[in-house]
Amino acid sequence: MDDARRAAVEGYLRSVSGDAALRIEAASLLSGGAIQQNWALDVVRHGAPEAWVLRTDNAATLAVSLPRAAEYALLRAARAAGVTVPEPLFLCEDPAIAGAPFFVMRRVAGVAAGHRVVKSETLGGGRAALAQAMGRELARIHSIAPPRDDLAFLGAAPVDAGRAFIAAQREALDRQREPRPALEWGLRHLERTAPPPVPARLTHNDFRTGNIMVDDGGITAVLDWEFAGWGDPAADLGWLCARCWRFGNVAREAGGIGPRAALYEGYGAVEDARVRWWELAAHIRWATIAIDQAERHISGVERSLELALTGHIVPELELEILRMVETRDA
Amino acid sequence: MHEQPDAADLLETARALLLAELLPALPASHAFAARMIANAMAIAARAARDATAWPAPPDAALIRAGAYDPGTPQHDEIAARLLAMARARCAVSNPRALRDD
Repeated sequence: MDDARRAAVEGYLRSVSGDAALRIEAASLLSGGAIQQNWALDVVRHGAPEAWVLRTDNAATLAVSLPRAAEYALLRAARAAGVTVPEPLFLCEDPAIAGAPFFVMRRVAGVAAGHRVVKSETLGGGRAALAQAMGRELARIHSIAPPRDDLAFLGAAPVDAGRAFIAAQREALDRQREPRPALEWGLRHLERTAPPPVPARLTHNDFRTGNIMVDDGGITAVLDWEFAGWGDPAADLGWLCARCWRFGNVAREAGGIGPRAALYEGYGAVEDARVRWWELAAHIRWATIAIDQAERHISGVERSLELALTGHIVPELELEILRMVETRDA
Repeated sequence: MHEQPDAADLLETARALLLAELLPALPASHAFAARMIANAMAIAARAARDATAWPAPPDAALIRAGAYDPGTPQHDEIAARLLAMARARCAVSNPRALRDD
Protein backbone atom coordinates (compact mmCIF):
# COMPACT_ATOMS: atom_id res chain seq x y z
CA MET A 1 0.00 0.00 0.00
CA ASP A 2 1.67 3.26 -1.08
CA ASP A 3 1.83 6.28 1.24
CA ALA A 4 -0.97 8.22 -0.47
CA ARG A 5 -3.38 5.30 -0.34
CA ARG A 6 -2.47 4.53 3.27
CA ALA A 7 -3.01 8.18 4.26
CA ALA A 8 -6.40 8.21 2.51
CA VAL A 9 -7.47 5.03 4.31
CA GLU A 10 -6.24 6.41 7.63
CA GLY A 11 -8.19 9.63 7.07
CA TYR A 12 -11.32 7.67 6.30
CA LEU A 13 -10.94 5.45 9.38
CA ARG A 14 -10.46 8.56 11.54
CA SER A 15 -13.78 9.87 10.29
CA VAL A 16 -15.77 6.69 11.00
CA SER A 17 -14.04 5.09 14.00
CA GLY A 18 -14.77 7.71 16.63
CA ASP A 19 -11.07 8.44 17.04
CA ALA A 20 -9.85 11.49 15.09
CA ALA A 21 -6.29 10.58 16.15
CA LEU A 22 -6.42 6.94 14.95
CA ARG A 23 -3.12 5.79 13.45
CA ILE A 24 -2.24 2.99 11.03
CA GLU A 25 1.06 1.73 12.42
CA ALA A 26 1.62 -0.94 9.76
CA ALA A 27 -0.08 -2.23 6.61
CA SER A 28 1.09 -5.46 4.98
CA LEU A 29 -0.40 -7.53 2.18
CA LEU A 30 -1.64 -10.91 3.38
CA SER A 31 -1.71 -13.91 1.08
CA GLY A 32 -5.10 -13.55 -0.56
CA GLY A 33 -7.20 -15.19 -3.22
CA ALA A 34 -7.13 -14.57 -6.95
CA ILE A 35 -9.96 -12.07 -6.58
CA GLN A 36 -9.30 -9.96 -3.48
CA GLN A 37 -6.55 -8.12 -1.73
CA ASN A 38 -6.37 -8.49 2.03
CA TRP A 39 -4.22 -6.10 4.03
CA ALA A 40 -3.28 -6.60 7.68
CA LEU A 41 -3.64 -3.26 9.45
CA ASP A 42 -2.07 -2.61 12.84
CA VAL A 43 -3.91 0.41 14.18
CA VAL A 44 -3.93 2.41 17.38
CA ARG A 45 -7.45 3.51 18.32
CA HIS A 46 -8.04 5.56 21.46
CA GLY A 47 -4.46 4.82 22.41
CA ALA A 48 -4.81 1.01 22.31
CA PRO A 49 -3.48 -1.34 19.60
CA GLU A 50 -6.01 -3.21 17.48
CA ALA A 51 -5.49 -5.77 14.70
CA TRP A 52 -7.70 -5.31 11.65
CA VAL A 53 -7.96 -6.59 8.08
CA LEU A 54 -8.79 -4.36 5.13
CA ARG A 55 -10.43 -6.28 2.30
CA THR A 56 -10.68 -4.89 -1.23
CA ASP A 57 -10.73 -6.05 -4.84
CA ASN A 58 -8.05 -6.76 -7.37
CA ALA A 59 -8.39 -4.77 -10.58
CA ALA A 60 -9.84 -7.72 -12.50
CA THR A 61 -12.53 -9.66 -10.66
CA LEU A 62 -14.76 -12.58 -11.49
CA ALA A 63 -18.23 -11.50 -12.51
CA VAL A 64 -19.78 -14.06 -10.16
CA SER A 65 -18.23 -12.69 -6.97
CA LEU A 66 -20.13 -10.28 -4.77
CA PRO A 67 -18.88 -6.73 -4.23
CA ARG A 68 -17.39 -5.73 -0.91
CA ALA A 69 -20.57 -3.98 0.36
CA ALA A 70 -22.49 -7.21 -0.09
CA GLU A 71 -19.84 -9.26 1.66
CA TYR A 72 -19.93 -6.81 4.56
CA ALA A 73 -23.73 -7.23 4.88
CA LEU A 74 -23.30 -11.02 4.78
CA LEU A 75 -20.74 -10.90 7.59
CA ARG A 76 -23.16 -8.87 9.70
CA ALA A 77 -26.03 -11.27 9.02
CA ALA A 78 -23.86 -14.33 9.69
CA ARG A 79 -22.53 -12.88 12.94
CA ALA A 80 -26.09 -12.18 14.09
CA ALA A 81 -26.99 -15.82 13.33
CA GLY A 82 -24.16 -17.06 15.55
CA VAL A 83 -21.74 -18.01 12.77
CA THR A 84 -18.08 -17.63 13.74
CA VAL A 85 -16.93 -14.78 11.49
CA PRO A 86 -14.56 -11.84 11.94
CA GLU A 87 -16.38 -8.84 13.41
CA PRO A 88 -17.18 -6.41 10.55
CA LEU A 89 -16.20 -2.87 11.55
CA PHE A 90 -16.46 -0.30 8.74
CA LEU A 91 -17.52 -0.25 5.10
CA CYS A 92 -16.26 2.31 2.59
CA GLU A 93 -18.18 2.26 -0.69
CA ASP A 94 -16.35 5.28 -2.14
CA PRO A 95 -13.79 3.91 -4.64
CA ALA A 96 -11.84 7.18 -4.54
CA ILE A 97 -10.38 6.47 -1.07
CA ALA A 98 -8.43 3.24 -1.69
CA GLY A 99 -8.87 2.71 -5.45
CA ALA A 100 -11.80 0.31 -4.92
CA PRO A 101 -14.51 -0.12 -2.27
CA PHE A 102 -13.24 -1.81 0.88
CA PHE A 103 -14.30 -2.91 4.31
CA VAL A 104 -12.45 -3.40 7.56
CA MET A 105 -12.96 -6.30 9.92
CA ARG A 106 -11.24 -7.46 13.07
CA ARG A 107 -8.22 -9.69 12.40
CA VAL A 108 -8.61 -13.25 13.63
CA ALA A 109 -5.70 -15.57 14.42
CA GLY A 110 -5.46 -19.09 13.09
CA VAL A 111 -4.56 -21.34 10.19
CA ALA A 112 -6.70 -21.76 7.08
CA ALA A 113 -4.30 -23.30 4.52
CA GLY A 114 -5.94 -26.55 3.43
CA HIS A 115 -2.80 -28.65 3.05
CA ARG A 116 -1.80 -27.80 6.65
CA VAL A 117 -5.22 -28.32 8.21
CA VAL A 118 -5.75 -31.78 6.67
CA LYS A 119 -2.34 -32.98 7.97
CA SER A 120 -2.97 -31.97 11.57
CA GLU A 121 -4.44 -34.33 14.14
CA THR A 122 -4.91 -31.57 16.70
CA LEU A 123 -5.96 -28.35 14.92
CA GLY A 124 -9.54 -27.33 15.60
CA GLY A 125 -9.65 -29.58 18.68
CA GLY A 126 -9.06 -32.81 16.72
CA ARG A 127 -10.50 -34.24 13.54
CA ALA A 128 -13.94 -35.41 14.69
CA ALA A 129 -14.47 -32.33 16.85
CA LEU A 130 -13.55 -30.03 13.97
CA ALA A 131 -15.83 -31.84 11.51
CA GLN A 132 -18.66 -31.55 14.04
CA ALA A 133 -17.95 -27.85 14.55
CA MET A 134 -18.06 -27.30 10.77
CA GLY A 135 -21.48 -28.95 10.75
CA ARG A 136 -22.69 -26.60 13.49
CA GLU A 137 -21.40 -23.55 11.61
CA LEU A 138 -23.20 -24.65 8.44
CA ALA A 139 -26.45 -25.22 10.34
CA ARG A 140 -26.24 -21.65 11.69
CA ILE A 141 -25.63 -20.27 8.18
CA HIS A 142 -28.61 -22.25 6.93
CA SER A 143 -30.83 -20.78 9.65
CA ILE A 144 -30.87 -17.58 7.56
CA ALA A 145 -33.94 -17.71 5.30
CA PRO A 146 -35.27 -15.41 2.57
CA PRO A 147 -36.60 -12.82 2.18
CA ARG A 148 -34.20 -10.44 3.96
CA ASP A 149 -34.09 -6.71 3.28
CA ASP A 150 -30.44 -6.53 4.36
CA LEU A 151 -29.56 -9.26 1.83
CA ALA A 152 -31.73 -7.96 -1.03
CA PHE A 153 -28.65 -7.91 -3.30
CA LEU A 154 -28.84 -11.72 -3.37
CA GLY A 155 -31.96 -11.45 -5.56
CA ALA A 156 -34.94 -13.75 -5.49
CA ALA A 157 -34.47 -17.24 -4.05
CA PRO A 158 -34.56 -20.02 -6.67
CA VAL A 159 -37.66 -22.21 -6.66
CA ASP A 160 -35.52 -25.23 -7.50
CA ALA A 161 -31.84 -24.66 -6.68
CA GLY A 162 -30.71 -27.91 -8.31
CA ARG A 163 -32.28 -27.15 -11.67
CA ALA A 164 -31.13 -23.53 -11.44
CA PHE A 165 -27.59 -24.85 -10.92
CA ILE A 166 -27.79 -27.05 -14.03
CA ALA A 167 -29.11 -24.16 -16.14
CA ALA A 168 -26.42 -21.76 -14.88
CA GLN A 169 -23.63 -24.27 -15.54
CA ARG A 170 -24.89 -24.87 -19.07
CA GLU A 171 -24.95 -21.13 -19.67
CA ALA A 172 -21.37 -20.94 -18.40
CA LEU A 173 -20.33 -23.77 -20.74
CA ASP A 174 -22.03 -22.07 -23.69
CA ARG A 175 -19.76 -19.05 -23.12
CA GLN A 176 -16.57 -21.13 -23.40
CA ARG A 177 -14.42 -21.42 -26.47
CA GLU A 178 -14.47 -25.25 -26.45
CA PRO A 179 -17.33 -27.71 -25.87
CA ARG A 180 -16.89 -29.76 -22.69
CA PRO A 181 -18.53 -33.16 -23.28
CA ALA A 182 -17.35 -34.67 -19.96
CA LEU A 183 -18.95 -31.81 -18.00
CA GLU A 184 -22.10 -32.12 -20.14
CA TRP A 185 -22.13 -35.83 -19.24
CA GLY A 186 -22.11 -34.94 -15.55
CA LEU A 187 -24.77 -32.23 -15.93
CA ARG A 188 -27.06 -34.57 -17.87
CA HIS A 189 -26.71 -37.13 -15.08
CA LEU A 190 -27.61 -34.45 -12.53
CA GLU A 191 -30.67 -33.54 -14.60
CA ARG A 192 -31.78 -37.18 -14.76
CA THR A 193 -31.37 -37.67 -11.00
CA ALA A 194 -32.28 -34.26 -9.54
CA PRO A 195 -33.84 -34.42 -6.07
CA PRO A 196 -37.08 -32.52 -5.45
CA PRO A 197 -36.60 -28.88 -4.45
CA VAL A 198 -36.43 -27.72 -0.82
CA PRO A 199 -37.07 -24.23 0.61
CA ALA A 200 -34.05 -22.01 -0.07
CA ARG A 201 -31.68 -20.93 2.72
CA LEU A 202 -28.53 -18.85 2.78
CA THR A 203 -25.72 -20.94 1.32
CA HIS A 204 -22.08 -19.91 1.69
CA ASN A 205 -21.08 -21.59 -1.60
CA ASP A 206 -17.38 -21.80 -0.77
CA PHE A 207 -17.52 -23.49 2.65
CA ARG A 208 -14.52 -25.79 2.37
CA THR A 209 -11.16 -26.63 3.88
CA GLY A 210 -8.93 -23.65 3.11
CA ASN A 211 -11.69 -21.14 3.87
CA ILE A 212 -12.21 -22.17 7.51
CA MET A 213 -9.70 -20.63 9.90
CA VAL A 214 -8.88 -22.75 12.94
CA ASP A 215 -6.60 -22.77 15.96
CA ASP A 216 -5.95 -25.51 18.53
CA GLY A 217 -9.27 -24.78 20.24
CA GLY A 218 -11.62 -24.82 17.25
CA ILE A 219 -12.93 -22.68 14.41
CA THR A 220 -11.89 -19.02 14.66
CA ALA A 221 -13.51 -17.75 11.44
CA VAL A 222 -15.56 -18.83 8.43
CA LEU A 223 -14.00 -16.82 5.61
CA ASP A 224 -14.64 -15.84 1.97
CA TRP A 225 -18.34 -15.07 1.65
CA GLU A 226 -18.21 -13.63 -1.85
CA PHE A 227 -20.08 -16.51 -3.53
CA ALA A 228 -22.98 -16.69 -1.02
CA GLY A 229 -26.57 -16.88 -2.25
CA TRP A 230 -29.98 -18.43 -1.68
CA GLY A 231 -29.88 -22.14 -2.40
CA ASP A 232 -30.24 -25.75 -1.32
CA PRO A 233 -28.42 -26.16 2.04
CA ALA A 234 -27.17 -29.59 0.92
CA ALA A 235 -25.05 -27.79 -1.70
CA ASP A 236 -22.74 -26.51 1.07
CA LEU A 237 -22.37 -29.99 2.60
CA GLY A 238 -21.65 -31.43 -0.86
CA TRP A 239 -19.03 -28.76 -1.66
CA LEU A 240 -17.26 -29.41 1.65
CA CYS A 241 -17.30 -33.22 1.23
CA ALA A 242 -16.42 -33.27 -2.48
CA ARG A 243 -13.33 -35.37 -3.07
CA CYS A 244 -11.69 -32.52 -5.01
CA TRP A 245 -11.70 -30.42 -1.80
CA ARG A 246 -10.12 -33.02 0.53
CA PHE A 247 -6.59 -31.79 -0.22
CA GLY A 248 -5.37 -35.31 -0.95
CA ASN A 249 -6.66 -36.74 2.34
CA VAL A 250 -9.48 -38.56 0.54
CA ALA A 251 -10.35 -41.02 3.34
CA ARG A 252 -11.53 -38.13 5.55
CA GLU A 253 -14.73 -37.39 3.73
CA ALA A 254 -15.54 -34.15 5.54
CA GLY A 255 -13.14 -31.85 3.72
CA GLY A 256 -10.09 -34.09 4.24
CA ILE A 257 -10.42 -33.27 7.94
CA GLY A 258 -12.70 -35.77 9.64
CA PRO A 259 -15.44 -38.35 9.32
CA ARG A 260 -18.57 -37.50 7.36
CA ALA A 261 -20.66 -38.86 10.26
CA ALA A 262 -19.19 -36.25 12.63
CA LEU A 263 -20.02 -33.46 10.18
CA TYR A 264 -23.60 -34.71 9.81
CA GLU A 265 -23.93 -35.08 13.59
CA GLY A 266 -22.85 -31.49 14.12
CA TYR A 267 -25.22 -30.30 11.40
CA GLY A 268 -28.40 -32.08 12.48
CA ALA A 269 -30.82 -33.65 10.00
CA VAL A 270 -29.04 -34.49 6.74
CA GLU A 271 -30.46 -36.10 3.59
CA ASP A 272 -27.35 -38.00 2.50
CA ALA A 273 -28.49 -38.76 -1.07
CA ARG A 274 -29.09 -35.04 -1.67
CA VAL A 275 -25.58 -34.22 -0.38
CA ARG A 276 -24.11 -36.85 -2.76
CA TRP A 277 -25.93 -35.24 -5.72
CA TRP A 278 -24.36 -31.91 -4.78
CA GLU A 279 -20.93 -33.57 -4.48
CA LEU A 280 -21.04 -34.41 -8.17
CA ALA A 281 -22.34 -30.88 -8.82
CA ALA A 282 -19.36 -29.53 -6.84
CA HIS A 283 -16.85 -31.15 -9.22
CA ILE A 284 -18.66 -29.64 -12.21
CA ARG A 285 -18.81 -26.22 -10.59
CA TRP A 286 -15.11 -26.28 -9.66
CA ALA A 287 -14.29 -27.31 -13.25
CA THR A 288 -16.21 -24.37 -14.76
CA ILE A 289 -14.57 -21.98 -12.27
CA ALA A 290 -11.15 -23.38 -13.22
CA ILE A 291 -11.97 -22.95 -16.93
CA ASP A 292 -13.02 -19.33 -16.25
CA GLN A 293 -9.82 -18.65 -14.31
CA ALA A 294 -7.63 -20.08 -17.09
CA GLU A 295 -9.61 -18.01 -19.59
CA ARG A 296 -8.64 -14.82 -17.74
CA HIS A 297 -5.03 -15.76 -18.46
CA ILE A 298 -5.60 -16.99 -22.04
CA SER A 299 -7.64 -13.92 -23.00
CA GLY A 300 -5.02 -11.58 -21.55
CA VAL A 301 -7.36 -10.02 -18.96
CA GLU A 302 -4.89 -11.12 -16.27
CA ARG A 303 -1.74 -12.95 -17.35
CA SER A 304 -0.80 -15.24 -14.46
CA LEU A 305 0.95 -18.59 -14.14
CA GLU A 306 -1.31 -19.52 -11.21
CA LEU A 307 -4.44 -18.93 -13.33
CA ALA A 308 -2.85 -20.79 -16.26
CA LEU A 309 -2.11 -23.84 -14.11
CA THR A 310 -5.63 -23.81 -12.65
CA GLY A 311 -6.87 -24.72 -16.13
CA HIS A 312 -4.83 -27.93 -15.96
CA ILE A 313 -6.92 -29.10 -12.97
CA VAL A 314 -9.89 -29.55 -15.35
CA PRO A 315 -8.90 -32.99 -16.78
CA GLU A 316 -8.68 -34.63 -13.32
CA LEU A 317 -12.07 -33.13 -12.41
CA GLU A 318 -13.51 -34.52 -15.66
CA LEU A 319 -12.12 -37.96 -14.81
CA GLU A 320 -13.64 -37.83 -11.33
CA ILE A 321 -17.00 -36.66 -12.75
CA LEU A 322 -17.07 -39.56 -15.23
CA ARG A 323 -16.17 -42.06 -12.49
CA MET A 324 -18.87 -40.69 -10.18
CA VAL A 325 -21.53 -40.86 -12.92
CA GLU A 326 -20.50 -44.43 -13.78
CA THR A 327 -20.80 -45.47 -10.12
CA ARG A 328 -24.11 -43.66 -9.61
CA ASP A 329 -25.64 -45.12 -12.79
CA ALA A 330 -24.54 -48.70 -11.96
CA MET B 1 14.31 -29.77 -38.88
CA HIS B 2 14.97 -28.44 -35.38
CA GLU B 3 18.29 -28.97 -33.64
CA GLN B 4 18.39 -31.57 -30.86
CA PRO B 5 17.78 -31.78 -27.91
CA ASP B 6 14.07 -31.25 -28.51
CA ALA B 7 11.54 -29.14 -26.60
CA ALA B 8 10.59 -31.86 -24.11
CA ASP B 9 14.23 -32.67 -23.32
CA LEU B 10 15.08 -29.00 -22.76
CA LEU B 11 12.08 -28.48 -20.50
CA GLU B 12 12.85 -31.59 -18.44
CA THR B 13 16.52 -30.69 -18.10
CA ALA B 14 15.78 -27.09 -17.15
CA ARG B 15 13.17 -28.24 -14.63
CA ALA B 16 15.60 -30.64 -12.98
CA LEU B 17 18.12 -27.81 -12.57
CA LEU B 18 15.45 -25.51 -11.15
CA LEU B 19 14.43 -28.09 -8.53
CA ALA B 20 17.95 -29.29 -7.67
CA GLU B 21 19.87 -26.01 -7.49
CA LEU B 22 17.58 -22.97 -7.52
CA LEU B 23 14.65 -24.02 -5.30
CA PRO B 24 16.84 -24.91 -2.26
CA ALA B 25 18.63 -21.54 -2.57
CA LEU B 26 15.44 -19.48 -2.77
CA PRO B 27 13.84 -17.76 0.23
CA ALA B 28 10.64 -19.48 1.38
CA SER B 29 8.54 -16.61 0.01
CA HIS B 30 9.53 -17.62 -3.55
CA ALA B 31 9.21 -21.38 -3.17
CA PHE B 32 5.56 -21.43 -4.32
CA ALA B 33 6.42 -19.54 -7.51
CA ALA B 34 9.34 -21.89 -8.21
CA ARG B 35 7.12 -24.95 -7.74
CA MET B 36 4.50 -23.46 -10.08
CA ILE B 37 7.21 -22.92 -12.71
CA ALA B 38 8.42 -26.51 -12.27
CA ASN B 39 4.83 -27.76 -12.66
CA ALA B 40 4.27 -25.69 -15.80
CA MET B 41 7.50 -27.05 -17.31
CA ALA B 42 6.48 -30.62 -16.51
CA ILE B 43 3.07 -30.16 -18.17
CA ALA B 44 4.67 -28.55 -21.23
CA ALA B 45 7.24 -31.37 -21.50
CA ARG B 46 4.55 -34.05 -21.31
CA ALA B 47 2.46 -32.18 -23.90
CA ALA B 48 5.50 -32.00 -26.21
CA ARG B 49 6.00 -35.78 -25.92
CA ASP B 50 2.29 -36.60 -26.22
CA ALA B 51 1.38 -38.55 -29.36
CA THR B 52 -2.27 -39.31 -28.55
CA ALA B 53 -4.38 -40.01 -31.60
CA TRP B 54 -7.48 -38.19 -30.40
CA PRO B 55 -10.85 -39.69 -31.32
CA ALA B 56 -13.62 -37.30 -32.35
CA PRO B 57 -15.09 -35.91 -29.12
CA PRO B 58 -18.72 -36.89 -28.46
CA ASP B 59 -21.19 -34.17 -29.44
CA ALA B 60 -21.84 -32.04 -26.36
CA ALA B 61 -25.29 -30.91 -27.56
CA LEU B 62 -26.44 -34.51 -28.05
CA ILE B 63 -25.21 -35.44 -24.57
CA ARG B 64 -27.17 -32.48 -23.18
CA ALA B 65 -30.30 -33.56 -25.08
CA GLY B 66 -30.14 -37.04 -23.55
CA ALA B 67 -29.27 -38.88 -26.80
CA TYR B 68 -26.70 -41.06 -24.97
CA ASP B 69 -28.53 -41.63 -21.68
CA PRO B 70 -28.25 -45.05 -19.99
CA GLY B 71 -30.32 -47.54 -21.98
CA THR B 72 -29.65 -45.89 -25.36
CA PRO B 73 -27.66 -47.91 -27.95
CA GLN B 74 -24.55 -45.69 -27.88
CA HIS B 75 -24.37 -45.07 -24.12
CA ASP B 76 -21.59 -47.52 -23.30
CA GLU B 77 -19.43 -46.52 -26.27
CA ILE B 78 -19.75 -42.78 -25.54
CA ALA B 79 -19.04 -43.30 -21.83
CA ALA B 80 -15.91 -45.32 -22.67
CA ARG B 81 -14.72 -42.69 -25.16
CA LEU B 82 -15.17 -39.88 -22.63
CA LEU B 83 -13.21 -41.85 -20.02
CA ALA B 84 -10.38 -42.57 -22.47
CA MET B 85 -10.15 -38.90 -23.43
CA ALA B 86 -10.16 -37.74 -19.80
CA ARG B 87 -7.38 -40.23 -18.98
CA ALA B 88 -5.29 -39.05 -21.93
CA ARG B 89 -5.80 -35.42 -20.86
CA CYS B 90 -4.80 -36.29 -17.26
CA ALA B 91 -1.65 -37.99 -18.57
CA VAL B 92 -0.50 -34.54 -19.69
CA SER B 93 -2.08 -32.22 -17.10
CA ASN B 94 -1.71 -34.32 -13.93
CA PRO B 95 -0.66 -38.00 -14.21
CA ARG B 96 -1.08 -38.43 -10.45
CA ALA B 97 -4.84 -38.36 -11.04
CA LEU B 98 -4.45 -41.73 -12.82
CA ARG B 99 -3.09 -43.53 -9.76
CA ASP B 100 -6.57 -44.71 -8.75
CA ASP B 101 -7.14 -46.45 -12.11
